[in-house]
Amino acid sequence: MRIKPRFLLGGGIIVLAVGYLIYTAIMNTAEYYLTVGEVQARATELQGQPLRVAGRVVPGSVSWNPSSLTLAFSIAPIPDPQAGGVKPVSSVTSNPAQQFKVVCTGQPKPDMFAENRDVIVEGRLGADHAIAATQVLTSCPSKYVPKKPS
Amino acid sequence: MAFIGQVALMLALVLAIYSIGANLYGARRGLPDLVASARHAVWAMCAMVALAMCALWSGLLQSDFSLEYVASYSSTTLPTIYKITALWGGQQGSLLLWTFLLTLFTAIVAYQSPRRNPELSPYVLAVMAGVAIFFLGMLNFVTRPFELLATVPREGTDLNPLLQNYWMAIHPPSLYTGYVSTTVPFAFGTAALITGRLDDAWIRSTRRWAIFSWFFLTLGNMFGARWAYEVLGWGGYWAWDPVENAAFMPWLVMTAYLHSVMIQERKDMLKVWNLALVGLAFGLTLFGTFITRSGVISSVHSFTQSGLGPFFMGFLITVVVLYTGLLLIRVGDLRSEAELESYLSREAAFLFNNLILVGIAFAVFWGTIFPVLSEAVRGVKITVGPPFFNKVNAPLGLALIFLTGVGPLIAWRRATFKNLVQSFGSPAVAGVATGLICLVAGIRAWYALAAFSLCAFTLTTVIAEFKRGVVARIHMVNETPPQALANLVAKNNRRYGGYIVHVGVLMAFVGIVASSFFKTEVKKSVKAGESFAVGPYQLKYLDLSDGDTAHVSTVTARVEVSRNGREVASLAPAKLFYKKPEQPATQVAIRSTPESDLYVVLAGIDDKSGLVTFDVFLTPMVFWLWAGGITMAIGTAFAMWPNAREREAIAMAARRRTSEVMALPIAPGGD
Repeated sequence: MRIKPRFLLGGGIIVLAVGYLIYTAIMNTAEYYLTVGEVQARATELQGQPLRVAGRVVPGSVSWNPSSLTLAFSIAPIPDPQAGGVKPVSSVTSNPAQQFKVVCTGQPKPDMFAENRDVIVEGRLGADHAIAATQVLTSCPSKYVPKKPS
Repeated sequence: MAFIGQVALMLALVLAIYSIGANLYGARRGLPDLVASARHAVWAMCAMVALAMCALWSGLLQSDFSLEYVASYSSTTLPTIYKITALWGGQQGSLLLWTFLLTLFTAIVAYQSPRRNPELSPYVLAVMAGVAIFFLGMLNFVTRPFELLATVPREGTDLNPLLQNYWMAIHPPSLYTGYVSTTVPFAFGTAALITGRLDDAWIRSTRRWAIFSWFFLTLGNMFGARWAYEVLGWGGYWAWDPVENAAFMPWLVMTAYLHSVMIQERKDMLKVWNLALVGLAFGLTLFGTFITRSGVISSVHSFTQSGLGPFFMGFLITVVVLYTGLLLIRVGDLRSEAELESYLSREAAFLFNNLILVGIAFAVFWGTIFPVLSEAVRGVKITVGPPFFNKVNAPLGLALIFLTGVGPLIAWRRATFKNLVQSFGSPAVAGVATGLICLVAGIRAWYALAAFSLCAFTLTTVIAEFKRGVVARIHMVNETPPQALANLVAKNNRRYGGYIVHVGVLMAFVGIVASSFFKTEVKKSVKAGESFAVGPYQLKYLDLSDGDTAHVSTVTARVEVSRNGREVASLAPAKLFYKKPEQPATQVAIRSTPESDLYVVLAGIDDKSGLVTFDVFLTPMVFWLWAGGITMAIGTAFAMWPNAREREAIAMAARRRTSEVMALPIAPGGD
């Protein structure tokens, strides 16, 4: 099919419109997706930015108030499974300098939320290592590879 | 059992390799016996994969934990129905199901197409066997469903609780059927490119396959959305998760193809475009499997990360390179005489509809791979979430609804002003009137106003089409109106089936817009006997009750729902705790009406204070999304149904061919 120039114009407008929509939407909605360690390294620059942070819930740091729906806990870097960190309890760092406090208000506590679970926190980074979260997502433990008896 | 399954898969691979060779060699050298034997090999291959599937099922049903697959995805206490569905609960099993469907469709094509398309058939089967070789290779050497465990555990780790749901029985098979059947148009397109027989034969042969694929992709997406709605407990049905996107993109491309193919049939235009679309649809199904299986893109659907990624990537790149190469070689033969004459024409409307559909698919693709791209280019992982997809697709969706109204009615070639007024006068009035009514009713969100107006506009065009057809029959063949309507649809099932699908799309679109714009959520912690309000409803939490089986323990809350002081429903949201994987789950209670859904989640129980947390959503008109889905399925079923005219045409073509074959030995004087 030969296409006359004036129809290329119409098609071109649609293509440009789609491109423009994609561009502006990315500009307006993109969030950093970082690990706790990465947030640590660039904390000042990320101040006040919308973030998604992946980390592990520090044991003993969780407090849940069901009447005000306030969930507070700390997250620490997820240990590298390759480095022998299969047993999560011992491997989460106890160094408070590497942890972030998370406060999430107005959301029910997720079913799968528990100490030592890996979570994704959505929110903004505030002062003193605190993240005001709008949502806490838990990753499914079914991600485990079934234990192979050795 | 494991041995039988393993051997069957190996034999299937051998048969696939044989069939590809015999088909190609037989067709090149004109050896009908070899081509026939290649066809038989295809049937044997299908039987072998079916046998392997039965072997795995038997292992699941007998809880044979010596099989790694059974030990990982089943348990002794798992209900029988989920032991059956566990076949596609894990990676190896779902690839086995995929392969089975592929070989089944290959077997069906091997049955149909030698009579209808003797020239293309061997190449089509060779392409399909080639795809089967890849999947069988994976099953035999990379991710083996019959892997044995050295020590046999006494109990299995059980199926993921989210998968222990009746949707598990129908959603994955539907979606896989839709995915895998895109292979058929792709194989025919490839065969047409290889042989240079670039007329409409490949399109005519795959028309029903394309609709079949679209039917199951539609159902698969709808079932998936409904599953998410019922099981995940967040009040929504679509989160633009990579896995959902992977199912949505082939659907978009197939939708585009089903429309552009009409332009090729009627006007002999868009030939290259159509071949590109079938290639794209097939490539996207591979891409979907790749992203869900490789762990490259993080998803809420947590699949076991595996080493499959590079293999799929490699296969995908091979397919794209070969197909694009073929298309470029043949592009000169695909020129068409006809050309676009006016913006105001059906050709143009269909072309723009195609551009927008592919544009949406591209936007979804871009958003899905953006984290990977940004990490590769800038070293930082940047994600885009649902807001990105909604922002991009909302205006494109409106344009698409508008074109849904315009496309079927506008004149071919060039519409005159009179034609436009005649066709679109009353729909435009209906659209504006609906907008004004919504405005008076208090709707101020401009997007919702525009969406409802456009839906009314398009709905009116469809009604006008039905009315015109019925009136014509009443006058011409003297039928009563119901007779006329029934015959109209029966005699032009593809066209009117399509209109029914359009109505379904409008219903779903209205449901999506209303439920996204006017949803309210109330989160509340209450003690037994306390009440709280959600919209016009009063919810009173009565008490908790416990249940316990070897498989799962349950805590159920009783919630009394009343409206204007009158009790309307009693709901029982529950929290479940699955014992084998030690995993909690939610059982949502939904009161669904065409007006709105009351969706109650038992979000938390605090033993210390006795407070129970409820998360309640009041979602208007979400009912219409599901009703629209059913309507789309019904319309597609109409369009797929073979009608008398088509059957005759096929029979005639077959008769013609048989007489040609019979005449052959005589014509050259025999041998």
